[in-house]
Amino acid sequence: MMPFDHVNAGSPGEAVDLLTSYGGKGRLIAGGTDVLGILKDRILPDYPDVLINLKTIPGMDSIKESGEGLNIGALAKLADIASSPEIKAEYPALSLAAESVASPEIRTMATIGGNLCQDVRCWYYRYPHHMGGRMLCFRKGVGPCYAVKGDNRYHAVMGGKKCFAVCPSDTAIALCALQAKISIFGGEGTRTLPLEKFFTPMGNVLRSNELVKEILIPKPTQETRQAFIKFTERKPVDFAVASIACVLEILGGRCMDARIYLGGVAPMPWHAEAAERIIKGGSLDDPTAEEAALASVAGAKPLKGNAYKIEIVKALVKRALLRRQ
Amino acid sequence: MSYVKEKATITLTVNGETHELEVGPGPSQVAPWHTLAQTLRETLGLTGTKIGCDHGGCGSCTVLVDGKAILSCITLSVECDGKSVTTIEGLGSPPGRAPDPIQQAFIDHTAFQCGFCTPGIIMASKALLEKTPSPHESEVKDALSGHFCRCISHYHVVRAVMAAAKKGS
Repeated sequence: MMPFDHVNAGSPGEAVDLLTSYGGKGRLIAGGTDVLGILKDRILPDYPDVLINLKTIPGMDSIKESGEGLNIGALAKLADIASSPEIKAEYPALSLAAESVASPEIRTMATIGGNLCQDVRCWYYRYPHHMGGRMLCFRKGVGPCYAVKGDNRYHAVMGGKKCFAVCPSDTAIALCALQAKISIFGGEGTRTLPLEKFFTPMGNVLRSNELVKEILIPKPTQETRQAFIKFTERKPVDFAVASIACVLEILGGRCMDARIYLGGVAPMPWHAEAAERIIKGGSLDDPTAEEAALASVAGAKPLKGNAYKIEIVKALVKRALLRRQ
Repeated sequence: MSYVKEKATITLTVNGETHELEVGPGPSQVAPWHTLAQTLRETLGLTGTKIGCDHGGCGSCTVLVDGKAILSCITLSVECDGKSVTTIEGLGSPPGRAPDPIQQAFIDHTAFQCGFCTPGIIMASKALLEKTPSPHESEVKDALSGHFCRCISHYHVVRAVMAAAKKGS
Protein backbone atom coordinates (compact mmCIF):
# COMPACT_ATOMS: atom_id res chain seq x y z
CA MET A 1 0.00 0.00 0.00
CA MET A 2 1.01 3.61 -0.48
CA PRO A 3 2.11 5.37 2.70
CA PHE A 4 -0.25 6.81 5.27
CA ASP A 5 0.03 7.71 8.93
CA HIS A 6 -1.87 5.80 11.54
CA VAL A 7 -3.35 7.10 14.76
CA ASN A 8 -5.35 5.37 17.44
CA ALA A 9 -8.45 7.16 18.66
CA GLY A 10 -9.18 6.85 22.37
CA SER A 11 -12.76 8.08 22.22
CA PRO A 12 -15.41 9.01 19.64
CA GLY A 13 -14.65 12.68 20.39
CA GLU A 14 -10.98 12.17 19.67
CA ALA A 15 -11.79 10.41 16.39
CA VAL A 16 -13.98 13.33 15.32
CA ASP A 17 -11.28 15.84 16.33
CA LEU A 18 -8.76 13.92 14.25
CA LEU A 19 -11.12 13.83 11.27
CA THR A 20 -11.57 17.58 11.57
CA SER A 21 -7.90 18.37 12.01
CA TYR A 22 -6.89 16.30 8.98
CA GLY A 23 -9.49 18.15 6.94
CA GLY A 24 -10.78 15.45 4.64
CA LYS A 25 -7.43 13.66 4.38
CA GLY A 26 -8.23 11.32 7.26
CA ARG A 27 -10.14 8.05 6.93
CA LEU A 28 -11.64 5.91 9.61
CA ILE A 29 -10.62 2.30 9.99
CA ALA A 30 -12.53 -0.21 12.10
CA GLY A 31 -12.34 -3.86 10.99
CA GLY A 32 -10.40 -2.73 7.93
CA THR A 33 -11.78 -5.49 5.71
CA ASP A 34 -13.27 -3.00 3.25
CA VAL A 35 -11.10 0.08 3.56
CA LEU A 36 -7.77 -1.72 3.13
CA GLY A 37 -8.97 -3.27 -0.12
CA ILE A 38 -9.94 0.19 -1.36
CA LEU A 39 -6.52 1.57 -0.46
CA LYS A 40 -4.60 -1.38 -1.89
CA ASP A 41 -6.32 -0.99 -5.25
CA ARG A 42 -6.29 2.82 -5.05
CA ILE A 43 -9.73 2.87 -6.63
CA LEU A 44 -10.39 6.44 -5.51
CA PRO A 45 -8.42 9.45 -6.75
CA ASP A 46 -8.13 10.64 -3.12
CA TYR A 47 -5.69 8.78 -0.90
CA PRO A 48 -5.76 9.46 2.83
CA ASP A 49 -2.85 10.99 4.73
CA VAL A 50 -3.89 9.18 7.85
CA LEU A 51 -5.98 6.25 9.02
CA ILE A 52 -7.80 6.88 12.28
CA ASN A 53 -8.19 3.61 14.16
CA LEU A 54 -11.52 3.27 15.95
CA LYS A 55 -10.81 -0.16 17.45
CA THR A 56 -8.94 1.47 20.32
CA ILE A 57 -12.12 3.21 21.55
CA PRO A 58 -13.12 1.31 24.68
CA GLY A 59 -16.64 -0.09 25.06
CA MET A 60 -17.86 0.67 21.55
CA ASP A 61 -18.11 -3.04 20.68
CA SER A 62 -20.72 -3.99 23.24
CA ILE A 63 -23.95 -5.86 22.57
CA LYS A 64 -26.53 -4.97 25.23
CA GLU A 65 -30.03 -6.40 25.49
CA SER A 66 -32.59 -4.62 27.61
CA GLY A 67 -36.35 -4.72 28.03
CA GLU A 68 -36.71 -2.12 25.30
CA GLY A 69 -34.45 -3.72 22.78
CA LEU A 70 -30.92 -4.19 21.64
CA ASN A 71 -28.03 -1.72 21.60
CA ILE A 72 -25.11 -2.71 19.45
CA GLY A 73 -21.91 -0.68 19.47
CA ALA A 74 -20.65 0.12 15.99
CA LEU A 75 -17.45 -1.83 16.67
CA ALA A 76 -19.25 -5.07 17.53
CA LYS A 77 -17.87 -7.84 15.36
CA LEU A 78 -20.17 -9.63 12.93
CA ALA A 79 -19.01 -12.97 14.42
CA ASP A 80 -20.14 -11.87 17.87
CA ILE A 81 -23.50 -10.70 16.52
CA ALA A 82 -24.01 -13.95 14.61
CA SER A 83 -23.19 -16.11 17.63
CA SER A 84 -25.03 -14.12 20.30
CA PRO A 85 -27.76 -16.38 21.78
CA GLU A 86 -29.98 -13.34 22.52
CA ILE A 87 -29.78 -12.11 18.94
CA LYS A 88 -30.40 -15.62 17.61
CA ALA A 89 -33.50 -15.91 19.77
CA GLU A 90 -35.06 -12.47 19.42
CA TYR A 91 -33.53 -10.97 16.27
CA PRO A 92 -32.94 -13.97 14.01
CA ALA A 93 -33.06 -11.87 10.84
CA LEU A 94 -30.01 -9.94 12.06
CA SER A 95 -28.25 -13.07 13.26
CA LEU A 96 -28.72 -14.76 9.88
CA ALA A 97 -27.64 -11.63 8.01
CA ALA A 98 -24.43 -11.33 10.05
CA GLU A 99 -23.77 -15.05 9.61
CA SER A 100 -24.18 -14.74 5.83
CA VAL A 101 -21.34 -12.27 5.42
CA ALA A 102 -18.10 -13.38 3.74
CA SER A 103 -16.08 -15.96 5.71
CA PRO A 104 -15.50 -16.79 9.41
CA GLU A 105 -12.19 -14.92 9.40
CA ILE A 106 -13.75 -11.79 7.92
CA ARG A 107 -16.66 -11.95 10.36
CA THR A 108 -14.12 -12.14 13.19
CA MET A 109 -12.58 -8.87 11.98
CA ALA A 110 -15.45 -6.93 10.41
CA THR A 111 -17.72 -4.67 12.44
CA ILE A 112 -21.42 -3.89 12.16
CA GLY A 113 -20.67 -0.18 11.67
CA GLY A 114 -18.33 -1.04 8.84
CA ASN A 115 -20.84 -3.41 7.30
CA LEU A 116 -23.33 -0.56 7.08
CA CYS A 117 -20.77 1.96 5.79
CA GLN A 118 -18.93 -0.30 3.34
CA ASP A 119 -18.43 0.93 -0.19
CA VAL A 120 -20.11 -0.65 -3.21
CA ARG A 121 -18.70 -3.67 -5.03
CA CYS A 122 -19.34 -2.46 -8.60
CA TRP A 123 -16.49 -3.88 -10.66
CA TYR A 124 -16.01 -0.67 -12.60
CA TYR A 125 -15.89 1.37 -9.41
CA ARG A 126 -13.51 -1.15 -7.82
CA TYR A 127 -11.25 -1.50 -10.84
CA PRO A 128 -7.64 -1.50 -9.49
CA HIS A 129 -5.49 1.49 -10.36
CA HIS A 130 -2.40 -0.67 -10.89
CA MET A 131 -4.05 -2.57 -13.73
CA GLY A 132 -4.20 0.14 -16.35
CA GLY A 133 -5.71 2.89 -14.25
CA ARG A 134 -8.79 3.33 -12.12
CA MET A 135 -12.12 4.03 -13.78
CA LEU A 136 -13.47 7.45 -13.04
CA CYS A 137 -17.23 7.17 -12.98
CA PHE A 138 -20.31 9.02 -11.87
CA ARG A 139 -19.96 7.74 -8.32
CA LYS A 140 -16.44 9.21 -8.17
CA GLY A 141 -17.76 12.54 -9.38
CA VAL A 142 -16.46 12.36 -12.95
CA GLY A 143 -17.78 10.48 -15.93
CA PRO A 144 -20.64 8.13 -16.70
CA CYS A 145 -21.84 4.97 -15.02
CA TYR A 146 -20.02 2.24 -16.92
CA ALA A 147 -22.57 -0.34 -15.85
CA VAL A 148 -25.25 1.17 -18.07
CA LYS A 149 -23.57 0.04 -21.28
CA GLY A 150 -21.20 -2.50 -19.78
CA ASP A 151 -21.56 -5.80 -17.97
CA ASN A 152 -24.27 -5.06 -15.45
CA ARG A 153 -25.25 -8.52 -14.25
CA TYR A 154 -24.70 -7.57 -10.59
CA HIS A 155 -26.10 -4.06 -10.77
CA ALA A 156 -29.33 -2.41 -9.70
CA VAL A 157 -32.69 -3.36 -11.15
CA MET A 158 -34.52 -0.79 -9.08
CA GLY A 159 -33.91 2.75 -7.97
CA GLY A 160 -30.80 3.30 -10.10
CA LYS A 161 -30.52 6.73 -11.68
CA LYS A 162 -27.00 7.97 -12.26
CA CYS A 163 -25.12 5.12 -10.60
CA PHE A 164 -26.28 1.52 -10.71
CA ALA A 165 -24.08 0.00 -8.01
CA VAL A 166 -26.06 -1.81 -5.33
CA CYS A 167 -25.83 -1.39 -1.58
CA PRO A 168 -23.81 -4.48 -0.60
CA SER A 169 -24.69 -4.62 3.10
CA ASP A 170 -26.48 -7.75 4.30
CA THR A 171 -27.12 -6.47 7.80
CA ALA A 172 -28.64 -3.24 6.44
CA ILE A 173 -31.81 -4.89 5.16
CA ALA A 174 -32.23 -6.98 8.31
CA LEU A 175 -31.80 -3.92 10.49
CA CYS A 176 -34.18 -1.82 8.37
CA ALA A 177 -36.83 -4.54 8.63
CA LEU A 178 -36.28 -4.59 12.40
CA GLN A 179 -36.85 -0.81 12.45
CA ALA A 180 -33.36 -0.13 13.78
CA LYS A 181 -32.11 3.35 14.47
CA ILE A 182 -28.58 4.49 13.93
CA SER A 183 -26.77 6.78 16.31
CA ILE A 184 -24.24 9.06 14.64
CA PHE A 185 -21.60 10.98 16.56
CA GLY A 186 -20.00 14.12 15.16
CA GLY A 187 -18.73 17.61 15.76
CA GLU A 188 -22.22 18.81 16.62
CA GLY A 189 -22.99 15.98 19.02
CA THR A 190 -25.07 12.86 18.55
CA ARG A 191 -27.96 12.47 16.13
CA THR A 192 -30.16 9.43 15.83
CA LEU A 193 -32.17 8.55 12.76
CA PRO A 194 -34.03 5.55 11.40
CA LEU A 195 -31.50 3.34 9.64
CA GLU A 196 -33.53 3.57 6.44
CA LYS A 197 -32.83 7.31 6.36
CA PHE A 198 -29.09 6.68 6.74
CA PHE A 199 -28.70 5.39 3.19
CA THR A 200 -28.64 7.54 0.07
CA PRO A 201 -28.25 6.51 -3.58
CA MET A 202 -24.58 7.56 -3.40
CA GLY A 203 -23.81 6.02 -0.02
CA ASN A 204 -24.95 7.47 3.26
CA VAL A 205 -25.62 10.69 5.14
CA LEU A 206 -22.41 10.64 7.21
CA ARG A 207 -20.70 14.02 7.13
CA SER A 208 -16.93 14.28 6.90
CA ASN A 209 -16.61 14.73 10.67
CA GLU A 210 -19.03 12.02 11.76
CA LEU A 211 -18.90 8.36 12.68
CA VAL A 212 -21.42 5.63 13.40
CA LYS A 213 -21.58 5.03 17.13
CA GLU A 214 -24.40 2.65 17.83
CA ILE A 215 -27.32 0.69 16.39
CA LEU A 216 -30.54 0.59 18.39
CA ILE A 217 -33.18 -2.05 17.68
CA PRO A 218 -36.58 -2.05 19.36
CA LYS A 219 -37.61 -5.36 20.90
CA PRO A 220 -39.80 -7.35 18.52
CA THR A 221 -43.20 -8.43 19.80
CA GLN A 222 -44.12 -12.03 20.60
CA GLU A 223 -46.06 -12.27 17.36
CA THR A 224 -43.10 -11.39 15.20
CA ARG A 225 -41.88 -13.74 12.51
CA GLN A 226 -38.57 -12.91 10.87
CA ALA A 227 -36.77 -14.15 7.81
CA PHE A 228 -33.53 -13.37 6.03
CA ILE A 229 -32.57 -15.08 2.79
CA LYS A 230 -29.54 -14.24 0.69
CA PHE A 231 -29.04 -15.52 -2.82
CA THR A 232 -25.41 -15.79 -3.86
CA GLU A 233 -23.57 -17.57 -6.62
CA ARG A 234 -21.45 -19.41 -4.08
CA LYS A 235 -22.09 -19.78 -0.37
CA PRO A 236 -19.09 -18.19 1.33
CA VAL A 237 -17.21 -14.99 0.52
CA ASP A 238 -19.84 -13.60 -1.79
CA PHE A 239 -22.14 -10.62 -1.94
CA ALA A 240 -25.87 -10.91 -2.46
CA VAL A 241 -27.16 -11.16 -6.01
CA ALA A 242 -30.43 -10.49 -4.25
CA SER A 243 -31.53 -10.82 -0.66
CA ILE A 244 -34.57 -10.26 1.49
CA ALA A 245 -35.23 -9.49 5.11
CA CYS A 246 -38.77 -9.44 6.40
CA VAL A 247 -40.36 -8.95 9.77
CA LEU A 248 -44.01 -9.91 9.98
CA GLU A 249 -46.48 -9.54 12.83
CA ILE A 250 -48.78 -12.53 12.70
CA LEU A 251 -51.82 -12.52 14.97
CA GLY A 252 -54.42 -15.25 14.79
CA GLY A 253 -53.19 -16.36 11.40
CA ARG A 254 -53.44 -12.87 9.97
CA CYS A 255 -50.55 -10.65 9.02
CA MET A 256 -51.11 -7.46 11.02
CA ASP A 257 -47.94 -5.67 10.03
CA ALA A 258 -45.09 -6.33 7.64
CA ARG A 259 -41.74 -4.86 6.80
CA ILE A 260 -39.98 -6.19 3.76
CA TYR A 261 -36.60 -4.98 2.53
CA LEU A 262 -34.65 -6.19 -0.46
CA GLY A 263 -30.87 -6.19 -0.79
CA GLY A 264 -28.54 -6.41 -3.76
CA VAL A 265 -31.07 -4.95 -6.16
CA ALA A 266 -30.96 -1.19 -5.57
CA PRO A 267 -28.47 1.50 -4.54
CA MET A 268 -30.06 1.41 -1.09
CA PRO A 269 -31.91 -1.17 1.00
CA TRP A 270 -35.11 -1.40 -1.05
CA HIS A 271 -38.33 -1.02 0.89
CA ALA A 272 -40.90 -3.28 -0.80
CA GLU A 273 -43.91 -1.27 0.35
CA ALA A 274 -46.23 -2.48 -2.40
CA ALA A 275 -45.66 -6.07 -1.28
CA GLU A 276 -46.28 -5.10 2.35
CA ARG A 277 -49.63 -3.53 1.45
CA ILE A 278 -50.78 -6.73 -0.20
CA ILE A 279 -50.07 -9.02 2.74
CA LYS A 280 -51.19 -6.68 5.52
CA GLY A 281 -54.51 -7.66 7.09
CA GLY A 282 -54.87 -11.00 5.38
CA SER A 283 -53.69 -14.54 5.90
CA LEU A 284 -50.40 -15.54 4.36
CA ASP A 285 -51.23 -18.17 1.80
CA ASP A 286 -49.70 -19.14 -1.47
CA PRO A 287 -51.71 -16.80 -3.76
CA THR A 288 -51.09 -13.80 -1.45
CA ALA A 289 -47.37 -14.50 -1.38
CA GLU A 290 -47.38 -14.82 -5.16
CA GLU A 291 -49.15 -11.50 -5.50
CA ALA A 292 -46.77 -9.85 -3.03
CA ALA A 293 -43.82 -11.25 -4.95
CA LEU A 294 -45.09 -9.67 -8.15
CA ALA A 295 -45.75 -6.37 -6.38
CA SER A 296 -42.25 -6.33 -4.89
CA VAL A 297 -40.71 -5.99 -8.32
CA ALA A 298 -43.36 -3.75 -9.89
CA GLY A 299 -41.64 -0.82 -11.52
CA ALA A 300 -38.29 -2.56 -11.74
CA LYS A 301 -36.14 -1.32 -14.62
CA PRO A 302 -33.55 -3.97 -15.32
CA LEU A 303 -30.48 -3.21 -17.39
CA LYS A 304 -29.41 -5.39 -20.28
CA GLY A 305 -27.82 -8.13 -18.22
CA ASN A 306 -29.65 -8.28 -14.92
CA ALA A 307 -33.33 -8.98 -15.55
CA TYR A 308 -32.70 -12.44 -14.05
CA LYS A 309 -32.52 -10.76 -10.66
CA ILE A 310 -36.23 -9.98 -10.84
CA GLU A 311 -37.10 -13.67 -10.98
CA ILE A 312 -34.79 -14.34 -8.03
CA VAL A 313 -36.37 -11.54 -6.00
CA LYS A 314 -39.84 -12.91 -6.66
CA ALA A 315 -38.79 -16.36 -5.49
CA LEU A 316 -37.10 -14.92 -2.39
CA VAL A 317 -40.18 -12.87 -1.45
CA LYS A 318 -42.42 -15.91 -1.77
CA ARG A 319 -40.05 -18.11 0.17
CA ALA A 320 -39.58 -15.59 2.96
CA LEU A 321 -43.30 -14.95 3.35
CA LEU A 322 -44.26 -18.61 3.41
CA ARG A 323 -41.40 -19.68 5.64
CA ARG A 324 -42.59 -21.07 8.96
CA GLN A 325 -40.39 -20.32 11.93
CA MET B 1 5.34 12.49 2.62
CA SER B 2 5.71 13.73 6.14
CA TYR B 3 4.88 11.05 8.54
CA VAL B 4 4.24 11.20 12.21
CA LYS B 5 4.97 8.26 14.39
CA GLU B 6 2.28 7.69 16.92
CA LYS B 7 4.47 5.25 18.72
CA ALA B 8 8.16 4.67 18.18
CA THR B 9 7.90 0.91 18.56
CA ILE B 10 5.37 -1.88 18.61
CA THR B 11 5.61 -5.16 20.43
CA LEU B 12 4.61 -8.31 18.62
CA THR B 13 4.76 -11.72 20.20
CA VAL B 14 5.11 -14.16 17.35
CA ASN B 15 5.10 -17.88 18.13
CA GLY B 16 6.03 -17.12 21.71
CA GLU B 17 8.95 -14.88 20.84
CA THR B 18 8.59 -11.18 21.62
CA HIS B 19 9.76 -8.70 18.99
CA GLU B 20 10.20 -5.03 19.64
CA LEU B 21 9.83 -3.43 16.22
CA GLU B 22 10.51 0.17 15.31
CA VAL B 23 7.73 1.98 13.49
CA GLY B 24 9.15 3.40 10.29
CA PRO B 25 9.59 2.84 6.58
CA GLY B 26 13.01 1.17 6.77
CA PRO B 27 13.81 -2.45 5.88
CA SER B 28 13.78 -3.83 9.42
CA GLN B 29 10.97 -1.57 10.56
CA VAL B 30 7.20 -1.72 10.50
CA ALA B 31 5.50 1.06 8.54
CA PRO B 32 1.94 2.15 9.37
CA TRP B 33 0.80 0.88 5.97
CA HIS B 34 2.34 -2.57 6.34
CA THR B 35 0.01 -5.48 6.69
CA LEU B 36 0.69 -8.18 9.26
CA ALA B 37 1.32 -10.61 6.40
CA GLN B 38 3.99 -8.28 5.04
CA THR B 39 5.63 -7.84 8.44
CA LEU B 40 5.65 -11.57 9.15
CA ARG B 41 7.12 -12.44 5.79
CA GLU B 42 9.43 -9.56 5.04
CA THR B 43 10.46 -8.09 8.39
CA LEU B 44 10.48 -11.26 10.46
CA GLY B 45 11.31 -13.69 7.65
CA LEU B 46 8.43 -16.03 8.47
CA THR B 47 7.44 -16.94 4.94
CA GLY B 48 5.18 -19.82 5.96
CA THR B 49 2.26 -17.38 5.89
CA LYS B 50 1.24 -16.98 2.25
CA ILE B 51 -0.23 -14.00 0.44
CA GLY B 52 -2.66 -15.16 -2.23
CA CYS B 53 -5.24 -12.61 -3.27
CA ASP B 54 -4.04 -9.97 -0.77
CA HIS B 55 -7.68 -8.85 -0.42
CA GLY B 56 -9.13 -11.17 2.21
CA GLY B 57 -10.83 -13.43 -0.29
CA CYS B 58 -8.71 -16.59 -0.34
CA GLY B 59 -7.70 -17.35 3.25
CA SER B 60 -4.04 -18.15 2.48
CA CYS B 61 -2.74 -15.52 4.89
CA THR B 62 -4.71 -16.78 7.91
CA VAL B 63 -2.84 -16.59 11.21
CA LEU B 64 -3.99 -16.61 14.82
CA VAL B 65 -4.05 -13.32 16.68
CA ASP B 66 -4.78 -13.85 20.37
CA GLY B 67 -6.09 -17.29 19.44
CA LYS B 68 -8.52 -16.15 16.76
CA ALA B 69 -8.11 -16.91 13.07
CA ILE B 70 -7.82 -13.66 11.14
CA LEU B 71 -6.61 -12.59 7.72
CA SER B 72 -3.15 -11.09 8.04
CA CYS B 73 -3.27 -9.47 4.58
CA ILE B 74 -6.03 -7.08 5.64
CA THR B 75 -4.72 -6.44 9.14
CA LEU B 76 -2.35 -3.55 9.81
CA SER B 77 0.74 -4.54 11.77
CA VAL B 78 0.65 -1.41 13.91
CA GLU B 79 -2.81 -2.44 15.07
CA CYS B 80 -1.37 -5.71 16.41
CA ASP B 81 0.77 -3.90 18.99
CA GLY B 82 0.85 -5.97 22.17
CA LYS B 83 -0.86 -8.95 20.57
CA SER B 84 0.17 -12.55 20.32
CA VAL B 85 0.45 -13.99 16.83
CA THR B 86 0.74 -17.67 15.92
CA THR B 87 1.83 -18.64 12.43
CA ILE B 88 2.33 -22.04 10.82
CA GLU B 89 5.95 -21.93 12.03
CA GLY B 90 4.69 -21.87 15.61
CA LEU B 91 2.82 -25.16 15.42
CA GLY B 92 4.12 -28.49 16.67
CA SER B 93 6.21 -29.32 19.67
CA PRO B 94 8.89 -28.28 19.65
CA PRO B 95 7.61 -25.66 17.18
CA GLY B 96 8.86 -26.21 13.68
CA ARG B 97 10.50 -29.56 14.51
CA ALA B 98 7.79 -32.13 15.18
CA PRO B 99 4.51 -31.61 13.36
CA ASP B 100 1.29 -30.62 15.08
CA PRO B 101 -1.36 -33.38 15.00
CA ILE B 102 -3.25 -31.34 12.36
CA GLN B 103 -0.12 -31.09 10.20
CA GLN B 104 0.45 -34.84 10.59
CA ALA B 105 -3.17 -35.50 9.59
CA PHE B 106 -2.70 -33.36 6.47
CA ILE B 107 0.34 -35.45 5.56
CA ASP B 108 -1.46 -38.72 6.29
CA HIS B 109 -4.47 -37.73 4.19
CA THR B 110 -2.50 -36.03 1.39
CA ALA B 111 -4.61 -32.98 2.10
CA PHE B 112 -2.67 -30.73 -0.27
CA GLN B 113 -1.01 -30.78 -3.63
CA CYS B 114 0.88 -27.53 -4.28
CA GLY B 115 0.58 -26.57 -0.62
CA PHE B 116 0.17 -22.83 -1.09
CA CYS B 117 -3.17 -22.59 0.71
CA THR B 118 -2.19 -25.16 3.35
CA PRO B 119 -0.69 -22.92 6.07
CA GLY B 120 -3.83 -20.79 6.08
CA ILE B 121 -6.12 -23.80 6.17
CA ILE B 122 -4.14 -25.42 8.98
CA MET B 123 -4.22 -22.22 11.05
CA ALA B 124 -7.98 -21.93 10.62
CA SER B 125 -8.33 -25.62 11.53
CA LYS B 126 -6.17 -25.02 14.60
CA ALA B 127 -8.47 -22.19 15.73
CA LEU B 128 -11.50 -24.40 15.14
CA LEU B 129 -10.17 -27.39 17.08
CA GLU B 130 -9.02 -25.23 19.99
CA LYS B 131 -12.58 -23.98 20.36
CA THR B 132 -14.47 -27.06 19.18
CA PRO B 133 -12.31 -30.16 19.80
CA SER B 134 -14.86 -32.58 18.27
CA PRO B 135 -16.51 -30.70 15.43
CA HIS B 136 -19.20 -32.04 13.17
CA GLU B 137 -18.15 -32.26 9.55
CA SER B 138 -20.40 -29.31 8.72
CA GLU B 139 -18.62 -27.20 11.33
CA VAL B 140 -15.28 -28.01 9.69
CA LYS B 141 -16.68 -27.00 6.32
CA ASP B 142 -18.09 -23.77 7.73
CA ALA B 143 -14.85 -22.90 9.53
CA LEU B 144 -12.85 -23.44 6.35
CA SER B 145 -15.37 -21.86 3.99
CA GLY B 146 -13.14 -18.82 3.46
CA HIS B 147 -10.26 -20.89 2.10
CA PHE B 148 -9.61 -21.57 -1.53
CA CYS B 149 -7.61 -24.52 -2.74
CA ARG B 150 -6.99 -24.38 -6.45
CA CYS B 151 -5.74 -27.98 -6.46
CA ILE B 152 -9.19 -29.00 -5.18
CA SER B 153 -7.90 -30.79 -2.10
CA HIS B 154 -10.91 -29.63 -0.09
CA TYR B 155 -12.29 -33.16 0.40
CA HIS B 156 -9.00 -34.46 1.75
CA VAL B 157 -8.71 -31.39 3.97
CA VAL B 158 -12.05 -32.07 5.63
CA ARG B 159 -11.06 -35.71 6.15
CA ALA B 160 -7.70 -34.67 7.63
CA VAL B 161 -9.26 -32.18 10.07
CA MET B 162 -11.86 -34.73 11.15
CA ALA B 163 -9.11 -37.30 11.68
CA ALA B 164 -7.02 -34.85 13.69
CA ALA B 165 -10.06 -34.06 15.84
CA LYS B 166 -10.72 -37.76 16.42
CA LYS B 167 -7.12 -38.33 17.46
CA GLY B 168 -7.19 -35.39 19.83
CA SER B 169 -10.33 -36.45 21.67
